[in-house]
Amino acid sequence: MAFEKHVAEHERRKAHALAMGGAERLAKQKAQGRLNARERIERLFDAGTFLEIGMFARSDRREEWDRTPADGKVCGYGRIAGREAAVVSHDITVKSASSSPINVRKMGHMRRTALANGMPLVLLNESSGARIPDTMGAIGTGTLGQDPTQFVRMREIPYVSAVLGPAFGTACWFTQLSDFVAMRKDAQLAISSPRVTEIAIRQKIDPQELAGWRMQAEVVGKVDYGVDTDEEAIDLLKKFLSYLPSHHNETPPRAAVPAGADEGSRGLLELVPEDRAKVYDMRKVAAAICDPGSVFPLKDRFARTAFTALGRIDGQVVGILASNPMFKAGAMDPDSCDKATAFLVLCDSFNIPIVILVDTPGFLIGVEGERRKAPGKVINMMSALQMCSVPKFSIVMRKSYGQAYLNMGGTRNTDEMLAWYSADVGFMDPNVGVNVVYGVKREDDPKRFEELKQEIQRDSSAYDLAGIFSAVAVIDPRESRQWLARLLEVHQKRPTKGVGRHLMGGWPTTF
Amino acid sequence: MATEKVRAEITGTVWKIVSQPGQQLAEEDTILIMESMKMEIPVIAPVKGTLASLLVKEGQEVSEGQDVAVIET
Repeated sequence: MAFEKHVAEHERRKAHALAMGGAERLAKQKAQGRLNARERIERLFDAGTFLEIGMFARSDRREEWDRTPADGKVCGYGRIAGREAAVVSHDITVKSASSSPINVRKMGHMRRTALANGMPLVLLNESSGARIPDTMGAIGTGTLGQDPTQFVRMREIPYVSAVLGPAFGTACWFTQLSDFVAMRKDAQLAISSPRVTEIAIRQKIDPQELAGWRMQAEVVGKVDYGVDTDEEAIDLLKKFLSYLPSHHNETPPRAAVPAGADEGSRGLLELVPEDRAKVYDMRKVAAAICDPGSVFPLKDRFARTAFTALGRIDGQVVGILASNPMFKAGAMDPDSCDKATAFLVLCDSFNIPIVILVDTPGFLIGVEGERRKAPGKVINMMSALQMCSVPKFSIVMRKSYGQAYLNMGGTRNTDEMLAWYSADVGFMDPNVGVNVVYGVKREDDPKRFEELKQEIQRDSSAYDLAGIFSAVAVIDPRESRQWLARLLEVHQKRPTKGVGRHLMGGWPTTF
Repeated sequence: MATEKVRAEITGTVWKIVSQPGQQLAEEDTILIMESMKMEIPVIAPVKGTLASLLVKEGQEVSEGQDVAVIET
């Protein structure tokens, strides 16, 4: 056979790369209920579509050549539901998938190629951080930073991350840059490992408190979902991407409209209590308005007074931003503002029309809020909303008071503001307003308090809002879905064909 | 068995206890309802488990961040 020696050597080298960190380490990975780096790619991509890039890359240290197949990061292209994407899958069995000059070069190639060709970048993260001894000393550390655009994020393409084990250093940085993150409940995400952190600060560290999924999902708000398995994490990345365009100059893919899609909204009168003292779960309202089964919550365990989700109305992708009365009565706090801002930036960057559902008593005010920069966060959110150039619609359902009325799309801060006939709009909650404006407390003079409350509540109805043409229509809640579907049709007629101006593409949203 | 403390998200008064110690809870089941800002606001289970103890009584004033119940997970 011609080239016989070459063929044999090529096959030997391929087998060496495909064997990753060796049978023993792979078996250990399997025994822990984890997929290996290549099995994860198989789960991610449509069968037979993976094209590996950099299989023969290895450490630049000669003594490590045989021990660093693919240099610990498996990269390439493949298709997800028929659409191209790029992947970096960290191989923990090779040098703990630590970052080295060569594999960082591979990552850079994947990122640049994904950007140049308008396809999502998928990061399957599991890495101990920078490789030692490669990065030691001035020569090691000074060799880093060869790519001055490595951490530039203009949101031309979606980045998605799964955190599937320890994720420190570069794996952590790219998770921070990602639009969506799913994390295993036994994984760790932090700047450095608990061990390194303990040594550095000489304090005993609880790994979950430092780097656990609940910390990331509930306190920090970076992680969207905590999951038990690799498969769940990877499937969630695919689900998220199904709502997004491949790049910022496309609109999101449309889906078929499920049968009976209009039925949910007919039950809205039962979902939202007429009694204003009673709360309800806004997530159910979103589910009733959107196509059945299409609502996909984002950051659902973080800043829960704000609800953010992707969904579909008549097959078209929309971003749902809502206050949720189930939590703190729907009063917005600094974290809710951050969550809303990040969501608005996501939707605007990827041409996703925004639907805002409003039932909020306002912003939570107080010393704690001021200490946590509430004014800056309120106005960040407001700026973000005004800079959004995708179609924006809002529905005032019940309460909408003060500045929060504007932050949630009031008057011309959305393209079309609708009001349910139950809407109630004013400068602040009437129960507080009586005291603020007239200095009368209910306990001192209940009769006078009620009279003044009536006075404050005058002219605060949905019809008053429509009378000055701030609301474009007063609607029956059951008509919400049909109204939004028609408004989406009208506002997609723009000459830009649904592609926005992306004024916030480069906004950092990790705060 | 690990325990999880359930905290009040908001300052207010305990209006109604809904779940009793020993009861199995799914994530987001209502444990008690508080009255705050003239509204009835539920305190829900952050994780699934058994309600081990209630740390507050009906009518009691509760501050934001105060522990109100313990769940065994």
